Amino acid sequence: MSAEKTDLLQGTLDLMVLKTLQALGPLHGWGIARRIEQISDKALEMNQGTLYPALLRLEQRGWISSKWGASENNRRAKFYALTASGRRQLSREEAQWSRVSGIMLRFLKASEEKS
Amino acid sequence: MSRLLEFLSRLVSLFRKSKSERELSEEIRAHIEMQSEENIRRGMNADDARRAAQRAFGGVEQTKEHYRDQRGLPVLEILLQDIRYSARTLAKNPGFALIAVLTLALGIGANTTIFSFVDAVVLQPLPYPDPDRLVSLWEVSGPKAPDSFNTRGRGISEGADQPRRTTVSPANLVDYQKQSTAFTGLSSFDTAGMNLTGAGNPERILGEQVNANYFSILGIHPAQGRSFLPEEDRPGNNHVVIISDDLWRDRFGADPKLLGSSIALNSKKYQVIGIMPAGFVSPSQYGLADRLRFYVPAAFDAELLAQHGDHEVNVLGRLAPGATLQQAQAELNTISDRLGKQFPNTNENIRAEIAPLRNDIVREVQSSLYVLLACAGFTLLIACSNLANLLLARAVSRRREMAVRLALGASRARVVSELVVQCLLLSGIGCAAGLLGAVWAQRLFLFFAPPGIPRLDQVALNSHVLIVASLLSVITAILCGAFPAWQISRGQPIDSLRAGERNQAGASVLRWRNALMVAEIALSMVLLVGAGLLLKSFFILNGVPLGFQEQHVLAMNINLPNTRYTTGEQRFTFYMELEQKVSAIPGVESIAYANRLPMRGGWSSGISLESGTPEGTAMVESDFQAVNPGYFRTLGIPLLRGRTISSQDTKATEQVAVVSSEFGNRFLPGQEVIGRRFRRHDKAPWVTIIGVVYDVRRDGKAAAIHPQVFLSAAQTDLYPTWLADFAVRATVEPHSLLSSIQQAVWAIDKDQPVTNVKTLEEVLSRSLSPRRFQMILLLLFSGVALTLGLVGIYGVVSYSVSQRTPEMGIRMALGAQRSNIYALILRQTSGLIFAGILLGTGCALALSRFLESFLFSVKPTDPATYVALAILLAVVALFASGVPARRATRVNPVIALRYE
Repeated sequence: MSAEKTDLLQGTLDLMVLKTLQALGPLHGWGIARRIEQISDKALEMNQGTLYPALLRLEQRGWISSKWGASENNRRAKFYALTASGRRQLSREEAQWSRVSGIMLRFLKASEEKS
Repeated sequence: MSRLLEFLSRLVSLFRKSKSERELSEEIRAHIEMQSEENIRRGMNADDARRAAQRAFGGVEQTKEHYRDQRGLPVLEILLQDIRYSARTLAKNPGFALIAVLTLALGIGANTTIFSFVDAVVLQPLPYPDPDRLVSLWEVSGPKAPDSFNTRGRGISEGADQPRRTTVSPANLVDYQKQSTAFTGLSSFDTAGMNLTGAGNPERILGEQVNANYFSILGIHPAQGRSFLPEEDRPGNNHVVIISDDLWRDRFGADPKLLGSSIALNSKKYQVIGIMPAGFVSPSQYGLADRLRFYVPAAFDAELLAQHGDHEVNVLGRLAPGATLQQAQAELNTISDRLGKQFPNTNENIRAEIAPLRNDIVREVQSSLYVLLACAGFTLLIACSNLANLLLARAVSRRREMAVRLALGASRARVVSELVVQCLLLSGIGCAAGLLGAVWAQRLFLFFAPPGIPRLDQVALNSHVLIVASLLSVITAILCGAFPAWQISRGQPIDSLRAGERNQAGASVLRWRNALMVAEIALSMVLLVGAGLLLKSFFILNGVPLGFQEQHVLAMNINLPNTRYTTGEQRFTFYMELEQKVSAIPGVESIAYANRLPMRGGWSSGISLESGTPEGTAMVESDFQAVNPGYFRTLGIPLLRGRTISSQDTKATEQVAVVSSEFGNRFLPGQEVIGRRFRRHDKAPWVTIIGVVYDVRRDGKAAAIHPQVFLSAAQTDLYPTWLADFAVRATVEPHSLLSSIQQAVWAIDKDQPVTNVKTLEEVLSRSLSPRRFQMILLLLFSGVALTLGLVGIYGVVSYSVSQRTPEMGIRMALGAQRSNIYALILRQTSGLIFAGILLGTGCALALSRFLESFLFSVKPTDPATYVALAILLAVVALFASGVPARRATRVNPVIALRYE
């Protein structure tokens, strides 16, 4: 069960994180996890822990940056923000997704009509 | 780009681990707390909220692990971890570590040392531009020497019927130069000694006589001044000299005004026209102990250039661009044939041959070095199998630990790699220790090395050598480490975890260890056979009689320069005076002088001998020496028949000669030798043989016996003799007479240096020293190999005994005596030892033919040596296995049976 969950998220987790940060601005790890669960309407139940290696990877690649700050409850938390190259990566991946999903959609429709 | 950033971040994070860990823990904690608070807001109680939050998060440790994998460089970190672990393990077992490191250091160090010599002497190119285009040229006389054949006998002489390599005749050289197109140039070169006088003490320095194009051929020109002009290479114009850089600095204090001024050589003025660059090494330098310090033009005179039968000089040349060695040789063959027809008297059956210059320089040393390298290689193999045995034993004892690891989820590769890392660590340390040892061994080697090994100054631990050393240590590590590791990690972990030391793994391990032991014994046998053959050879050589008594004789060179002593008569007068003065010195028993003493050279010549053949005369070739009456007594050469040279034999009386008994045996078999006559050529006076003496091995113990003719030094018109060697037989310590002799020399001529003072014993020892050196090295290697082999045998037999302790217990409980147990173990071990010796003997028989050129009257398959060494090895090996076997008999059967 959990294997399925992780597989689905591996390729798309990065994209979701970047999009989240673009939409909501700098956010800490838990905040990102909550937003992803909200948007996906609880359809995606993920192990929240998988977020952190992903965040590290994004940071290593220079697409997000991190800074320690204070949360709503004045708790010390690490905040992540999108960088300029992160913005560029995001638009690249968005465009790719649209293209791929468009092709798949057309393909599936065409096969339906045939049968 | 982003990937690169990722890699860099991973690298950097290696240094920020603890900080990163702290922050991660804090972040995760904060995350879970925030989720808990959210859960509480949704209505859960505190405990449920926290548990739900944790469940939503997933495994904290797993997250941390994934995070760590993402953060650092896992491969590197694993490696560092393994290294640290191995270091700790080794520190806890210092005995094992020490033995392993020593074994490796020995093997790797020996190989590195020998390889550094091979590299410097054989592999490195010669220090000239395009060195592979340089060739040496010499002449070969066919089975029958031409009528007029005169040579100073340099080079290899074979049996009487073999083609004989000789130096080149300058007259022929001129023809080769003129008629060939395959060379950019050919030049003669010949070492010459001259007396340097003037600024400072008279000093005899060594130099070369060369043609004008010598330096162009080599491709290295004087650093200051210029090279010779063709005009200067002629008699009359040839008083110019090029000196070496160190002569300029040592003798003349690097005087900038020296260039252009003159120096006095052999009392003649020579203008200094050039100074060679520092570090220039002439090809003749290789193999010479004394430094070559000057170069003068050869300037052959017209008489020499007309004499095609006078083989006087060495020649080197450079192939023209595009010409191959074969083409050049073919061309020379054509020219030789042409000359043979043109001058049948002197050139019939004479051919010129060429070979790469490097071959000449390294020829003698090359095969020795390769043999040594092979021995070092074998020793390393033995060391490796010892180490493999050790590691195998250790791996076996760690079986349980590895099984636990495998059961906990480690991959087999991970377990094996840890063992390999341990081996790499060991071999790394061993390699470092070996290199240190090699530096020290190099110095030792250089110190004890026999003179005449070329290019020793280039021996160093350079990059080639270091690369080879590192490669060796990596290969050893993999060989010794991977194999046991693979062995151990086979099979299910559960088997190892089961109680009981003995199981299947133990049995196959024992088989491998036995195989390694057999291999070690075989290798030891090969090395022992090599050493044994050389040893026997050396002893036989040592026992060869020289034909003269070398003890208590002091010999020296007194080279009279031909500028002040132009005729043979003048030289003879000097020596006569010297003999008178020296005979007055107390402690001098008798005096000898000659053109050359034994083991210092001489000349050979063809003569026409009165023989009992129908023609009346026959052309024969013999070695010659011109000696004084006291020669035979001083050197202790017994007279067989007739009489020796006496003071009555002067210029005024009949020309006489004494011959050796080989002369009689070879040229006048069964006939009366005394009274026969010979002469140099048709116009020369007849010489009568008046006595026969014992054979002398003029060129040392290893040389064949050549026929010898002794002329009287007083009869100087007979041959253009150059008296140069002086010797005294002393009743006191020979060297103590030196200063008195020197005083006597200077009383006659104050500018005359006395050089190369050695007792004949020292000269003999020097001539034997290459063999002795090689033999010692081989003995050393086989000694080391034997010791390693013994240690190995001891280890393996101990292991096998410990494996079989319960079995021994059962046997003893069933009634076996101690002696039965002992015999059982020895019987089984001796089977293995016998197999090893057999295998080793086979290999030795196959390989020993490579030693053939080093042996002296010992066949490579000499049965006595093989049998003796096999017995030695068997006894020693049985002794090594006897000790642990004895331990087996001390086992208490009750304890053994409880061993499970």
